[in-house]
Amino acid sequence: MSKLTKEIIDLINGSESIKILATADEEGNPCTAFKDSLTVLDDGNLAFGEEFEGSQTNVNLVRSIWFNKSVELTVRDRRGTTFQIKGKPYRYVHAGPLFKKFYFAEREKRGADSELAGVWIITPEEVRNETYEIRKKEEDERHPFFRHFDRASVRKVK
Amino acid sequence: MNEDNHELGFEELAAKYPDFPRLLIRKLDAELRGVALTERALERAKEEGCLYDAAADLGQETPRPVLGGALFRDGSWVLGMEPMYLQFPNGYKRSGSLYTIDVVDGKLWLLDGDNPVEEVFFVSYPEYFGKKTSRGTPMVKVVSARLPGLLFVYLYNRCDFWAEQKPCKYCSFPTRVFRRKPGYTQEGLDDLYETMNEALKEEGKWMNIVLLAGSNLSGNSPYDNEVDEYVKVLTTLRKSFGTEKVYAKMVASAFSREQLLRLKEAGATTYQPHIEVWDEKLFEWICPGKTKYFGRQYWIDSALSAVEIFGRGYVCTQFVGGVELMQPYGFKTIDEALESTLEGAEFFASHGVGPIAIIHRLEKGTVFYAQKQKPAPLEYYVRLMKGISEIHRKYNLSVDFNNYRCHPTGDLDRLHNAAREGA
Ligand code: SF4
Repeated sequence: MSKLTKEIIDLINGSESIKILATADEEGNPCTAFKDSLTVLDDGNLAFGEEFEGSQTNVNLVRSIWFNKSVELTVRDRRGTTFQIKGKPYRYVHAGPLFKKFYFAEREKRGADSELAGVWIITPEEVRNETYEIRKKEEDERHPFFRHFDRASVRKVK
Repeated sequence: MNEDNHELGFEELAAKYPDFPRLLIRKLDAELRGVALTERALERAKEEGCLYDAAADLGQETPRPVLGGALFRDGSWVLGMEPMYLQFPNGYKRSGSLYTIDVVDGKLWLLDGDNPVEEVFFVSYPEYFGKKTSRGTPMVKVVSARLPGLLFVYLYNRCDFWAEQKPCKYCSFPTRVFRRKPGYTQEGLDDLYETMNEALKEEGKWMNIVLLAGSNLSGNSPYDNEVDEYVKVLTTLRKSFGTEKVYAKMVASAFSREQLLRLKEAGATTYQPHIEVWDEKLFEWICPGKTKYFGRQYWIDSALSAVEIFGRGYVCTQFVGGVELMQPYGFKTIDEALESTLEGAEFFASHGVGPIAIIHRLEKGTVFYAQKQKPAPLEYYVRLMKGISEIHRKYNLSVDFNNYRCHPTGDLDRLHNAAREGA
């Protein structure tokens, strides 16, 4: 069963959402990249196009699929609703209908000399709501002593 | 000990080499042991438009199924590297029992015995398959494919070393299904032009072309006629692409500087004269034709001088990994074999020639098959691929025109493609 609720799917499919992928290299050095093409597939997996075979992101994704490492996607809309989705690369597609769909979209967007190396499919394993208001509520409940005394919930300011 | 792999089996090797991806060990093992499709999997391949029947192209009554290819999850090959029509595992001496591809719970899996070990995915065959040129030639006979993205032009599959009974001992080149004699006619070139144009209509499909021919000693200078054939093909491809340069890999004999300059002039961007085996004595034993015309040093010099013409990263040479273990003259241990081959690989890399390696398949029709030789063990290939990739990395040498989509050497290079070039 998919880990993604309708709210998250709508957020991911929203054309104005910002979508960022975080991966790590062999030494744990982070690498982030925008993944505007991120979309939810019918089976609940996530897919995005990778433009360049030699990008650090792609290399990190290859390492992740080979050594069972996680990657993370962050999606945020204009109102600030934010979700982080941790998952594992399931498949790298460079042939067939799914690849062609992304390939044609990329060429439509960027023109006749654009490239798409492949499409990564990520299986979501953990979803966190990182929207500010939601996180603040959680933090206040869990860590009430990490609040400054200027906060309205701690002290009534005259 | 696992009988299937002579020495260490898959799990033992995965434990021994934890930095070598399990999936790639599986890939090597599958290539050594062979892969068969169950009836269910064949049915699925048909349903998905991935099984092409080439009987009509061959003028035959009995079906000649060709699988469009099968990929692992990471996009590397399970099936498809073997020449067309040989994708089903007959005609090879294999190590141990075959893997199978079957449908399990609605998905395609590679099975080791009864155990599903990796999910796999079929690749559809190209859209130009089944079409004919205006002269009525089946296009698949003009340009074949190693799938999903490699167009394959056999200029001809005749080799003078065979004619002189001095073939390379692992070679089955003349037994290929589509026979073509040297000497493209204008009609042949027109067929090639039409076929290429038709193939290229399929967008999002092709990324590589290989041009391949046997050694042809004829001409004013030896190999001149072979060069002529490449020039004809390159000129035709230039017309198809509408460009000066042709991004194809050219696997050919050891050419002189003058010959290489002619090829560059005709649009060639890469060059690949294969050394096959590094050890001097074994080279003479295994490649008697190359030894006679004109010896190991000549083949080495040709590769090295090509770097000046095509540039670093645009010249490769290939080792047939495992032939140096053939008996009675070959190395007795994999340590010795690897030491020799990797020494050769390092020598070439240090001169800007990208070393690459394939798995030696004991194929029917080869001298080694007739001699009932044994395939090299899986561990040898794990160490060979690791060693060669480390050499690429050490010398910061790209072998991109033999990348993982069209050649087995490129797999591990995927981990050091980036060198922090950007996100
Ligand atoms: S040169 Fe050797 S490997 Fe190449 S076709 Fe001739 S005999 Fe075969």
